[in-house]
Amino acid sequence: MTKSSGNDAIVDPNTYADPDPKRAASRRDVLGFLAAFGVVTPTASLISAIDAGIATAEAQTAAGQPVPRLSVYTPNWPDMIELWRQLARDWAPLGVDLDVQQGTLDTFVSNIVAEQKLPHLGSMSWGGAPDRLDPDYFISEMFHSRRAIKGGLNFGLYKSDEFDKAADSQRQAMDPAERQKLVRLAQELVVADSPSLILYHRDIIHAYNKKRFKGMKPILGNGIGFPYMPLAYMDIEALQPRKVLRLTSIYDIASLNPFQTPEIYNSTTLRLIYATFVTRDEKAEVMPWALASWNVVDNTTVDIVLRPNTKFHDGKPATVEDVKFTFDFILKHKFPAMGRVTDALESASITGDNTVRLKLKQPSAPFVANVLGYAFLAPKHIWETIPANLATPADWPNDKPVGSGPWKFVEWRKGEHIQFAANKDFYRPAKLDGFIAAVVPQMESMVGMLERGDSDMLAWNLDMTLGARISQNPDLEVVRTPTHGQHEVRLNLSMAPCNNKAFRHALQHATDRKKILDIIFSGAGVVSHGAPITPALEAWAVPSLKGYEPNIDKARAVLKDGGFTWNAQGKLMLPS
Amino acid sequence: MEFLGFAARRTVHTAVTLVLLLVFMFVLFRLIPGDPTTLLLGTGELTLEAQQRLRAQWGLDQSLFEQLLAYCRNLISGELGLSFYYRRPVTEVIGPMLINTVILMLPILVLAIGLGIVIGTWLGWRRGERVEELGAVLVLIPRALPVFWTGIVLLSLFAYKLQWFPIGGIREAFFYPEAWYQNLPYYDVLQHLVLPVATGVLASMADPLMIMRTSLIEVRDEEFMVLARARGLSTRSLQRLARRSALLPVLTYSAVMVGFAFGGQVLLEVVFTWPGMGRLMVNSVTQRDYPVAQAAFFLMASVVVVLNLIVDLLYGWLDPRIRHD
Repeated sequence: MTKSSGNDAIVDPNTYADPDPKRAASRRDVLGFLAAFGVVTPTASLISAIDAGIATAEAQTAAGQPVPRLSVYTPNWPDMIELWRQLARDWAPLGVDLDVQQGTLDTFVSNIVAEQKLPHLGSMSWGGAPDRLDPDYFISEMFHSRRAIKGGLNFGLYKSDEFDKAADSQRQAMDPAERQKLVRLAQELVVADSPSLILYHRDIIHAYNKKRFKGMKPILGNGIGFPYMPLAYMDIEALQPRKVLRLTSIYDIASLNPFQTPEIYNSTTLRLIYATFVTRDEKAEVMPWALASWNVVDNTTVDIVLRPNTKFHDGKPATVEDVKFTFDFILKHKFPAMGRVTDALESASITGDNTVRLKLKQPSAPFVANVLGYAFLAPKHIWETIPANLATPADWPNDKPVGSGPWKFVEWRKGEHIQFAANKDFYRPAKLDGFIAAVVPQMESMVGMLERGDSDMLAWNLDMTLGARISQNPDLEVVRTPTHGQHEVRLNLSMAPCNNKAFRHALQHATDRKKILDIIFSGAGVVSHGAPITPALEAWAVPSLKGYEPNIDKARAVLKDGGFTWNAQGKLMLPS
Repeated sequence: MEFLGFAARRTVHTAVTLVLLLVFMFVLFRLIPGDPTTLLLGTGELTLEAQQRLRAQWGLDQSLFEQLLAYCRNLISGELGLSFYYRRPVTEVIGPMLINTVILMLPILVLAIGLGIVIGTWLGWRRGERVEELGAVLVLIPRALPVFWTGIVLLSLFAYKLQWFPIGGIREAFFYPEAWYQNLPYYDVLQHLVLPVATGVLASMADPLMIMRTSLIEVRDEEFMVLARARGLSTRSLQRLARRSALLPVLTYSAVMVGFAFGGQVLLEVVFTWPGMGRLMVNSVTQRDYPVAQAAFFLMASVVVVLNLIVDLLYGWLDPRIRHD
């Protein structure tokens, strides 16, 4: 509305109630001003609250003082909020109070990961992405001191020379038996120091229409529906004439260019089109995919053999030239999304009709699983001829992606769906004719679509309440799959009392993980033994760990041994 | 002549407002902690060095002022920039979403304003009667209910229970026409439009309706209406006369309504899974996709501002009582 007063004798209907237009106008100005800052204010106040929380906490750490109110940051997901309600109850008998702040995921990332501003405690859940099957992620990424920097995931600032040594050694141990020893050692060190309360590994719950399709393949960390593991869709068969599976997903991809984004959903969806060199099988073992085989020659040399008779989706044959081209292309342009390839690989050279020799920059045990499982076979004849005026080839739209993977690209309607057709020239072709992934951002709509028969598979994580309802339908089947992902509570080891090992162990003993898993996820999952690698990954888990039985008396005893006391009101006091 | 002076002044005001809006939004979005690379960082998918390289590539490591200058320079040459998230031109990202939002909001606006005027006139004319008191309250109920609640209730009844309409989206991802009527042109989009439009109309009809009603009540008792009644004009003609005068406030309000409609109705779009501007705006802020967020919010703001300008300029023509000094 026009705010110019005086000259224009325009009657403003919005001020009917108020005969004084000037006062109304200034009131509107104030409201407008406030509304404009309405976006920034909650975010800004949240940030200043976190900062203030940290400042106050640092001021209250004198010896013999009562333990300060622990400030907590949690993403605002219902299960996380309920988690903290339970933890507040579990820890109250220890004389500990919590002050829980909730916020969006992006605020969590920008404050805690990017700025490393974790308050006393923070909770997070880590999904079962394929590269996390290798133990290096949950060991090095979360706990190595090298990752206690801006942008790193060791935002609890855990620093242990002994642990760093074990973590670095396991990374470079090319012998599996040797590596297993070191991985288990690293975990035992983490459990002894307890920088994080690893809570549980919640099951992945998907659902599908069993009257129409069969052959679903549950894979660790993937369930039956995520695109993280290409093997999941390969043996699905139709029980009715339509051989095109319709599945629903919460996300959409952002780009068809596989060099552009490292985001898990986008990159794994594109790797249905572009075959990675290796992939994982149902037992989470590494298996050849675009390769026929590979051979670890020595610490820094890997020979790879391309699968013979490989064809791209446009019919052109794939050769070692394409393999070498792919690696050279990535090394030349240093795509940020392909960082792990650039960090690990020195060079690629053709050594035979079907073989390429890869030289690594340093010994790397996760190389085959995480680098060859992420890099894919790209067609040289297409990527050589893209327009030269782009800042980087990662910006090229790639509207008609051509790869050598089990699925051919058909169509992508942004925000709506993406459609694939089976590549019958693949060495083990899919049994379906194709599938469509529709984007449905609402879980309830997904369930509705499955129940109405509008979709055949619900490819996103359900909770048990919805799962129970779906199970009652005789046409539908709910599938639970364990995951290597985990829920954890991270402690900020630079702040008292979290810097006290006895305190951390006491929290471990006070937390009733099973009860929390039962309340929040209806028991669908595996309680953690305290180590970052799930018991489901038998090759890497530590079999001797027994986990923590919730025991308040034990927790109090641990605190007492650590010099903690309680005052007359039952509040926990720092050791003097 | 005074009109031209007035028009010129108002146009300059509008232009200045738009420029200030642009700068304000530019700065405001960059005040939010994090940047487009942050979300990728959070899940450990991007190494720190890779993130620095990406930031440099996208010009995010320059000072705020330099970035603003670059943005303005590009804007003058008509370049809205590349979306950080999609790596496509902003126009390409916003365009289809804008069209989808228009498809949704145009029927809602037309029906809400149209029905609002008709029912508002009907109610206003019957001021003091029982039916008007009841009507005024009834009309406010859907307005007071949260729009997503109304949407969910309509969905659960008509889409889930009765299965008359689809659950959401703008078209079926897998549409195979079976019955004869499903082959009619645009059938798919139309069947998806019914419920969201019904929800939107229920929620937004009350505003123009109540404004019309209030305005009509005022106009009804004005002197020229008394004179017209004394001259023996039929009720129908009297209503038409009153409506013309009473329409002005509704028109002003409609300008604002249309502007806000361009921002999409996020709640409506989420409940009905409609791929429109609302979701795009929310997602672009979460993803810190500055060019898209700026362009989308600026679009919404400029539509409001420009429409207000147009209505202001038209007011003199619409209402001969207005003088521009």
